[in-house]
Amino acid sequence: MSAIEVKRVTFSYNANQPDRVDVIKDLSLSIEEGTFVALVGHNGSGKSTLAKLLNGLLLPTKGEVRIFGNSTMDASKIYEVRKNVGMVFQNPDNQMIASIVEDDIAFGPENLGVEREEIIRRVDWALTKVGMLAHKKGTPFKMSGGQKQRLAIAGVLAIMPRVLVLDESTAMLDPQGRSEVLKVAHELNKDEGITVIHITHYMEEALGADRLIVMNDGEIAFDDTPSNVFTHDEELKKIKLAVPWDTQFAIALKKAGIDVGLPVKEEDLIDSLCQLL
Amino acid sequence: MSIVIKNLSFTYSRNTPYEKKALDNINLEINEGDFLGIIGHTGSGKSTFIQHINGLIKPQEGEIEIFDIKLTPAKRPRVDLKALRSQVGMVFQYPEYQLFADTVEKDVAFGPKNLGLPADEIKERVKQAIEMVGLDYEAVKDRAPFELSGGQKRRVAIAGIIAMRPKMLILDEPTAGLDPYGKEQILNLIVHLKKHCSPTIVVISHDIDEITRFATRIVVFNDSKIVYDEPMRELFKHSHMLNQMGLDIPRAVKIANALRYKGIDVSDDIVTAEDLLKEVVRLYNKKHNTEKKADGVSFDLYDFSQKWAAAEDEKPTPENAPAPDADNITPTDKQSE
Repeated sequence: MSAIEVKRVTFSYNANQPDRVDVIKDLSLSIEEGTFVALVGHNGSGKSTLAKLLNGLLLPTKGEVRIFGNSTMDASKIYEVRKNVGMVFQNPDNQMIASIVEDDIAFGPENLGVEREEIIRRVDWALTKVGMLAHKKGTPFKMSGGQKQRLAIAGVLAIMPRVLVLDESTAMLDPQGRSEVLKVAHELNKDEGITVIHITHYMEEALGADRLIVMNDGEIAFDDTPSNVFTHDEELKKIKLAVPWDTQFAIALKKAGIDVGLPVKEEDLIDSLCQLL
Repeated sequence: MSIVIKNLSFTYSRNTPYEKKALDNINLEINEGDFLGIIGHTGSGKSTFIQHINGLIKPQEGEIEIFDIKLTPAKRPRVDLKALRSQVGMVFQYPEYQLFADTVEKDVAFGPKNLGLPADEIKERVKQAIEMVGLDYEAVKDRAPFELSGGQKRRVAIAGIIAMRPKMLILDEPTAGLDPYGKEQILNLIVHLKKHCSPTIVVISHDIDEITRFATRIVVFNDSKIVYDEPMRELFKHSHMLNQMGLDIPRAVKIANALRYKGIDVSDDIVTAEDLLKEVVRLYNKKHNTEKKADGVSFDLYDFSQKWAAAEDEKPTPENAPAPDADNITPTDKQSE
């Protein structure tokens, strides 16, 4: 069974009115459990809307979203869906609700009525997973953005989701914070088998993903491995995106008459350059 | 001399157990015409510093002179903050979250109105500011800011600052959260503003590849102090130290360093992608006895040369108004609210 099954979903604002706007257009998508998916697209391409359709924060106007077989339209299953799909948002400052770290992490399982001993176990486990166990008794408000986002992830982990959606969770962080969050996401994917959907504007962050989905105007423009998607330099530009820096550099070099192929990673570019020079 | 900062220090929660020094004896002169980049780790003091220049924080120790306005720890004489803020325009992070009026025109007019200007001058300034950021005045003036796309909203917010006609503009992380196209638009806008609007510009950014595209001078904050203040091209002689502070160095510098490490004789004057490209072509020609040329190869992702700002497809037209833009329509999208 796929973790996520999106079947011919359309999502519209003002659905039955003359000024109806389709934000997601007849989109189908299937994601296997354990996949690390990067999701990119220009501002307004529909990626955040798609993310919110995955845990029933938004419901499809047409079509259906199934999470491990449960439809998000099925009101009796919505808690099951939300327990399976944890979301972390963009702003590190408005996802904390308690003044002590462990209380904040315990908030999710407490609301699900999990037993006390189990909550304590989960809080320690979740904080260990994001490398923040040392801050268990600390307060989130004095932490860096990267630390706060890792706490936000731990808060979601304590609910034991099988899918983690990071909705531009790295956008407001500095380079160090970004790499911390990305590292945690990859570890959770590798070690715990959690399916990760990482929405981002930084093309470099897509490089480690198994699969890169590019959205444009409510539709999927590309769905392939990152290195394959990044061969479509011109098409990506047309939909307001760009290939990673190293690929851009190789393309410029080719225009000057020197062919180093299409490296997507810095190491690859350096290796190619070394062989040439 | 536009701005002179002398022995400036600042401590948060002074005289409490939570006391934290944010600025430690800062000395800096910002000259008219400077295109200054400020980099530094989160918590290094950059934001505290720029809030001083705009009079949002009063100095605790030391003094600041900004276009003949003097800020000191003394209570008197009272400083004319209005005059200060009309000369130093500050564009905060995610400025579009501060849009509040029901039309673009009213939002941009808020600043000049508060300066007490006559109505016809306000109108003229608003029109000019909106056009300056590359939006079509007639098309957008009566629209609600929330109908616009993310990049357009940010430009409206910047127009609101420009309408005050500041002599100096400070921008804090101006491209954060935008897609690659929106980023390029804002970067092009900043260069345009430097030429036509505000001759002195200070930009804070975490993206060093962005800063090196336009800054002529870079100041590095670390641990509440200014550790480097250098012409842009000189700064990366300290790559090793910058790395140790946990700061990124430009990708071209990184690659040049890696090639040098592998024994390739790369020039040490490489900062931008263009520099690296020229150098690679030069080395290639030398080794392979060819005459390849890097001239005319551009790194511009998108062509803004005709009209750098408002792209055709972004112009609001009756057919696509309100803009089919998910980020504008879902209120829940704005997580920072």
